[in-house]
Amino acid sequence: MAEKKKTGKDNGQERTYIKGLGFCGNGIDGNLTEVDVKDGKIIRIKPFRYTRKYKAEEFKPWKLEARGKVYEPPLKTLPPPLALGYKKRVYSSNRLLYPLKRVDFDPNGERNIQNRGKSGYVRISWDEALDIIVGEMKRIIKKYGPYAIFSQSDGHGETKIVNGGHGAHRELLDLLGGYTQQARNPDSWEGWYWGAKHVWGCEPVGMAPQGNLMLDVAEHTDVLLHWGCDAEVTPWGWAGQSASRFIYWFTELGIKQIFICPDLNFSAAIHGDKWIPILPNTDAAMQLAIAYVWLTEDTYDKDYIATHTVGFDKFKDYVLGKEDGVPKTPKWASELCGVPSRIIKALAREWASRTTSVVHGNGGSYIRGPYATEPARLEVTLLAMQALGKPGANQVKMMEWGFFGRTYEMPVPIPVVMPQVFACYKGFDVTKYPKQIIAKDMVAKAILNDLKGGPPIEWYGTTLLAEMTENQFVKYRYPVEGCSKVHMIWTDSPCWITCWNGGNEFIDALRSPNIEFMMAQHIWLENDCLFADVVLPVRTKFEELDISVDGLSGQYRTINYEGQCIEPLGESKGDWEIALMIAERFGLKEKLTQGKSTEEWMKVGFDHSGLADLISWEKFKENEYYVIPTHPEWKKNPRGLNAFYQDPKKNPLSTPTGKLEIYSQRLAEHFPDDEERPPHPRWIPYGKTHQESRLCDRARKYPILVCSNHPRWGVHANHDDITWFREIRTCKTRGADGYLYHTVWVNPEDAAARGIADGDVVKIYNERGGVLAGAMVTERIIPGVISIDHGAKYDPIVAGELDRGGAINTITPGKVTSANATGMATSGFLVEVERVNLDEMRRKYPEAFSRPYHHAAGPGVASFLYGGKK
Amino acid sequence: MGKALIIDITKCNGCYNCQIACKDEHVGNDWTPIAKPQPDTGQFWMKVTDIVRGTLPKVKVAYWHDICQHCDDAPCMKACRQQAIYKRADGIVIIDPEKCVGNRNCVDACPYGVIYFNGDLNISQKCTFCAHLLDRGWKEPRCVDACPTEALRFGEEAELKEYIKQSEVLHPEFKAKPRVYYIGIPKRFIAGAVWDPGEDECTEGATVTLTEPGKAKKLVARTDRFGDFWFESLEVGKYSLVIEKPGYKAKKLEGISTEKDVNLGDIELVKR
Repeated sequence: MAEKKKTGKDNGQERTYIKGLGFCGNGIDGNLTEVDVKDGKIIRIKPFRYTRKYKAEEFKPWKLEARGKVYEPPLKTLPPPLALGYKKRVYSSNRLLYPLKRVDFDPNGERNIQNRGKSGYVRISWDEALDIIVGEMKRIIKKYGPYAIFSQSDGHGETKIVNGGHGAHRELLDLLGGYTQQARNPDSWEGWYWGAKHVWGCEPVGMAPQGNLMLDVAEHTDVLLHWGCDAEVTPWGWAGQSASRFIYWFTELGIKQIFICPDLNFSAAIHGDKWIPILPNTDAAMQLAIAYVWLTEDTYDKDYIATHTVGFDKFKDYVLGKEDGVPKTPKWASELCGVPSRIIKALAREWASRTTSVVHGNGGSYIRGPYATEPARLEVTLLAMQALGKPGANQVKMMEWGFFGRTYEMPVPIPVVMPQVFACYKGFDVTKYPKQIIAKDMVAKAILNDLKGGPPIEWYGTTLLAEMTENQFVKYRYPVEGCSKVHMIWTDSPCWITCWNGGNEFIDALRSPNIEFMMAQHIWLENDCLFADVVLPVRTKFEELDISVDGLSGQYRTINYEGQCIEPLGESKGDWEIALMIAERFGLKEKLTQGKSTEEWMKVGFDHSGLADLISWEKFKENEYYVIPTHPEWKKNPRGLNAFYQDPKKNPLSTPTGKLEIYSQRLAEHFPDDEERPPHPRWIPYGKTHQESRLCDRARKYPILVCSNHPRWGVHANHDDITWFREIRTCKTRGADGYLYHTVWVNPEDAAARGIADGDVVKIYNERGGVLAGAMVTERIIPGVISIDHGAKYDPIVAGELDRGGAINTITPGKVTSANATGMATSGFLVEVERVNLDEMRRKYPEAFSRPYHHAAGPGVASFLYGGKK
Repeated sequence: MGKALIIDITKCNGCYNCQIACKDEHVGNDWTPIAKPQPDTGQFWMKVTDIVRGTLPKVKVAYWHDICQHCDDAPCMKACRQQAIYKRADGIVIIDPEKCVGNRNCVDACPYGVIYFNGDLNISQKCTFCAHLLDRGWKEPRCVDACPTEALRFGEEAELKEYIKQSEVLHPEFKAKPRVYYIGIPKRFIAGAVWDPGEDECTEGATVTLTEPGKAKKLVARTDRFGDFWFESLEVGKYSLVIEKPGYKAKKLEGISTEKDVNLGDIELVKR
């Protein structure tokens, strides 16, 4: 690009920076972009060219060849709109520019905790903010001990390293004697982590290894089953759009693509050769019926079952009805899952007769519902019945490529080094935790239990995503003996309300008088921040100098020198800088910095990245990036579970027997009475923990099932204020009152039965609360089901009860996956939907409906300032 | 010759990168003399629209793209009384933001509906093919640069011949000579699923013969394992079809109108 050519009065002075715009947030970046800046302003964000400073042959371009066709990754990155539109997030009306204090919070007098989320904010100085924070920390530590301080630091968001969020303050809290940590549960892998791991190990999150699977599919697969996932959506925040190109290529190769999901999701809409719509969270019934067809038609791999699995007979008896008297026939399943029995039979025969891999993208309704352990375990069981690991028959992931920096997680050709910069990462370390933790999906319960004065709460597993299966048999409790209950919350990159389970319960918890002080630090005033007593403004990564690695793109891996593009907006600070400002007041700053500047820390990261032998720091800094060459022997990277397929004795799984444990002896021993996750997978529509099935009595009052996917137009809680997305109909729907409501998909039949027209504002509700949304009446969703993405910005009408912003997670189940599985259940739950009379609503809630908001960006800082003014 | 844009609907994954990249380039950035800033919302110089086709479960989505066609015989140019609209040597049609006085004749004259009026600046605005970038050496406008699947291609008309051959222009009857070419403009489909109610099985291998109106030529499809058949790229009209399989009573369906895409639903084929 001839950027230096001067042809117009505005040209010629732009400076281009490199920034990763992946939104995982935990040390691994993606979505590499070029950011053009002029006069201190971001002009544009565009795809990154690998060949900016290097010739392609220097990094050894790879290609895949199969069936006479070639796949070559482009020489520029494939960022999603979430990255290209991100400038709007920097200059958002939602941006926090100075510290705020809740107007009626006085640490030395009346705290008015009951008014969290109601009373509004006033501007304060940094000095005043730090006085309050440090004063409260000292007071609370003195009164209760250090464990009274609770750290929440793991919501997804910008991926910053040295100046990163996600727990930059935790080292300080360690130095102050400890703290209580929120243990981040493996969100989006619920069923895999709590279910599939018991069958096949596949540590740590329970999904299969991915080595060279793109080539494996291209060479051997006939049918791809995209099961309850959307590869045109979920990878966006992490890896860009390589997945899209691969799926197009697979179609070109003649591979049939079948989609099983309640909604015609964005992949099914363009790639689907066949859409099999299914009721949310009923996949287990269909999976059992598929097994029934294979068993009765004798079309499964009995040799493989004999050599590679244990406990199949018990499962077989259950499927055939010998155990419970109910044969799991296609007719039986059809009644439960809504798929005609003839389609189930056809699918079973298609799978048995043609080489099939199952695709995930990830997350989605399928694996995040109540009892998600069951469809996950059943999927592994079905894959086993068709010789899992044989060429072309694997579980294929369309994201998290190179997960944890492991070569066996790379479905595309590996580079010579899988670089990492964790050595200078100041955010959260998934492997370390203090002696008191609370599972993230138990936090609201823990706080509310403290308020009730109940006995300690208990759960299984640390719930940390890097834990091995054995840890799921270890019981944890809060409070730990000798540790205080939680009395202060320090939250950065918060998203409980709009992304976690039972959001309204979180709101109740945040208003507990036991929580004497809550502080939030964030780039934007949104979601959980609205309940904090003090809110600190944080910078975007454009305002920071930093280092990153693009480790997820499915193209080439890079290490990047991310220059500071623009001056910090307002009085915002870096997350690490905030930790240091507070540390300074405790006399601990030097201990944390070790006397090193940001750039010196970057060099530490670089020196430990694994690349120091390939390029010098000076050259790296000059070029601002380095592309890691393709490994010359990338074809030797083992394919998926092929080694296990070939020789299970030599290449065992990490299960106790080394085989696929279709009946888990471990589960049987540790949880002999668990009817909600028994030793082998079952159809569990409801139970003691959840009554979210259409078969429950609750369904008479709440007959609609919710399919809630990862958001199309954001990453979890991020991006909701980008005006350019809010103009898109699948993102927001303009209500008759001009407000942009979060879009919910409603089938024409359900809409007609409720007098709902396209574009109407509707209320989605159950006994946990209500959420307003804008109805998109569409054939893309089956009758009896609505589809609404999570992650919309919370805009309380009545905090804890009714939301205007469309944060559907406020009314998801608060309870975990099942009795002993501590995941969250955020899809496949019951609601009713009704048309809203906006005039009536406005009369009933005049305050909420007269709150100012930006006509295009929605609620912002001005909405929540005291008196609606600065 | 001059610049041309190819829009291949069959390769569009609907990510909206083109629409967003256009806004990233033009909202809040002043590229005078090529363009003044685009308003934050409400204008779409590259506009994507979801077209949901068919009914459950035979549903597909196509993504339509509206953009200035940079016509060689541009009605907007003729309609402008200020001579504010001109055609560059490379074929790009520009509304000079400094000459435009906002009389909106071009907005009304454009048969493709792709010129917007900016009330704040009192000017008409539209796609410029990012001429300000091309003049700096860029090879393509932002929308094309941002496209992840090469559904959008841009370049010298001569270099794009191979794509232009497979394409069509919108409304040739307007005789405006557009420089934007579309591949795979969605036509209509007729689809259905054949099954045997007696056996409760999908009917695989049935022959489905579609008769097009006024044409001797028949289209033939075979049902797959799910009993599904699809006829794609049909013109609007009235069709009839016959479903046959040895051992079964043939089934004839008539008067199928393709005003919209048609899902005939589940069709029973009964044994003789």
